[in-house]
Amino acid sequence: MHNLLAFFRRFRIFLLFVLLQVFALSTYFTYLSFPRSQYLTSASIVSSSILEVRNSITKYWSLGENNKALQEENIRLREKIKGSFIRLENPLVRIKDTLFRQQYEYISSLVINSSTNKRNNFFTLNVGGLQGVKRGMGVFSDKGVVGVIHSTSRHYAVVKSVLTEHINIDVIVESTGAFGLLKWDGRNSKFGTITGISNDMKLKKGTRVVTRGGSTIFPKGLMVGYIEKLTPIEGKPLWDVTIRFSEDYRSIQNVYVIKNFLKEEQDRIENTIPEDKVE
Amino acid sequence: MNNIVVHIFRFLVFVLIQSLVLNSLEIGLGIQLMIYPLFIILLPFETTLPVLLLVAFVMGFSIDSISNTFGLHTSSLLLVAYLRPFVFNMFSPREGYDPLKEASIFEMGQRWFISVFGILLLIQHLWFFTLEMFNINEMLYVFQKTILSAPLSFLLCILLQVIFVSKPKER
Repeated sequence: MHNLLAFFRRFRIFLLFVLLQVFALSTYFTYLSFPRSQYLTSASIVSSSILEVRNSITKYWSLGENNKALQEENIRLREKIKGSFIRLENPLVRIKDTLFRQQYEYISSLVINSSTNKRNNFFTLNVGGLQGVKRGMGVFSDKGVVGVIHSTSRHYAVVKSVLTEHINIDVIVESTGAFGLLKWDGRNSKFGTITGISNDMKLKKGTRVVTRGGSTIFPKGLMVGYIEKLTPIEGKPLWDVTIRFSEDYRSIQNVYVIKNFLKEEQDRIENTIPEDKVE
Repeated sequence: MNNIVVHIFRFLVFVLIQSLVLNSLEIGLGIQLMIYPLFIILLPFETTLPVLLLVAFVMGFSIDSISNTFGLHTSSLLLVAYLRPFVFNMFSPREGYDPLKEASIFEMGQRWFISVFGILLLIQHLWFFTLEMFNINEMLYVFQKTILSAPLSFLLCILLQVIFVSKPKER
C-alpha cells in the first residue's frame, strides 16, 4: 500500500499527462468509430457564435460569385414555373392532384465554417433543430451533393461532408447505370473515387455521376461529378474510378438541407427484410 | 512583462488565429500551419508541469471545438507541454535559466530557439499528422506533410514574435 502511494506520488505528473491524453484521444477515436461525439463540435453555442462573426466578415469576399450562382439557379427555376409556359388549352375543371405528392422539402442555409484540407472535413450550417433539421438528412448545393447532417443543436448543424473517410454515398454513372459507393482518399478536395464498379462495365471519361437515390437521404439524380480517370484494380475484377466533383468545396456557401417526407415509410418497410449474414 | 494579462491576451490571439485563419487556409500539398505550440514555449520558465498540461489542455480543447477536429489539437499540444521541461533541460545554459527572461527568439538567442522550438514543433507536427491519417500505409504522406508544414509553421512563429513579442530593452 505504501509502495503504491509512493508510486502515485512519484509519477503523479505523468499520470496527469496520461489522463488528459487519454481523454483527448478517446474523443478522437470515439468519433472515428461512431460519429456521435456531440460536445466537441462547433455546433456548441460559444464556438458557433465566434464562427458567425467570422462569417459575417468573410461572406462578402465571394459575394459576386455567389450572386451569379444564385441568379443562374433562379433562371433555371423560373423556366419551370407556370408563368413561363404558353397555355395551349383552357383548363375545364380544377382537380385535386392525387398523382403527385410532395416527397422532398428543402431548407436553405449558409455554410458558416468549413475546411477542405483535413482527412475528415465538417461544415457548420446556420440552421438547426428549430428549422427542422435532423441528423441523417442530406445536404446539397446548386452544383452538387455536399454531405449528410452529423449533429444538430437548436440553431446550428454540423455536416459530415463528402470530403470524409466513411461518407459512402450511393452514386450511379448516368449513361450505363453502373452504381457504387462514393469515397474520398483525403488528398485533393477536387477528386473523389467510386468503389464497387465491376470492370466489365463500359465506362467513358467525362460521363456524369449522380446520386442513386436508394438510401432515403438524397433524391435520385443529384449531380456529384464527372468521371476523370479509370484504372483497373490489380487482382480484382473492379474499376478504380476517379471523379472530379462538380462542386468546389473550398468556396461553398449556399446549401440546401433535404427533408424526405417518405423516409420513415421506406425505412419501416426496409426493416422488415430479414437480415442476412453479409459474407 | 511576464504578467498574467499578457499571457491571457496571447492565449486568445493564438486560439483565434489558429482556429479562424490558419485552419481554413488551403495551401496545397497537405500543408497545414500550426502556431499554437509557440504559446506553450513562451510561458514563463518557472511554470510547473501540471500547470503547463492544464493550460495546454484548455487551449487544445478550445481550438478543437471551434474547428471540429475532435481532440486532435488537444492531444498534440499536451505532448508539447509534457516534453517542454525535458527539452529545456537538454539545452539549458550553463548558469541555468534566468526567471526574468522569456523563451523568445530575442531573449534566448537564435541558436537556442531554433534547436528547442524546432524539436518540439517537429514532434508536434509528426504526432498530429500521424493521428490524423492513422494508417500505416499512408506514412509516406504523413512524412511529406510534416516535412513541408513544420518549416513554414516555424517561419510563421518567428514572424509572430517579431510582431507580438516586444524586444527586450537594452540593459
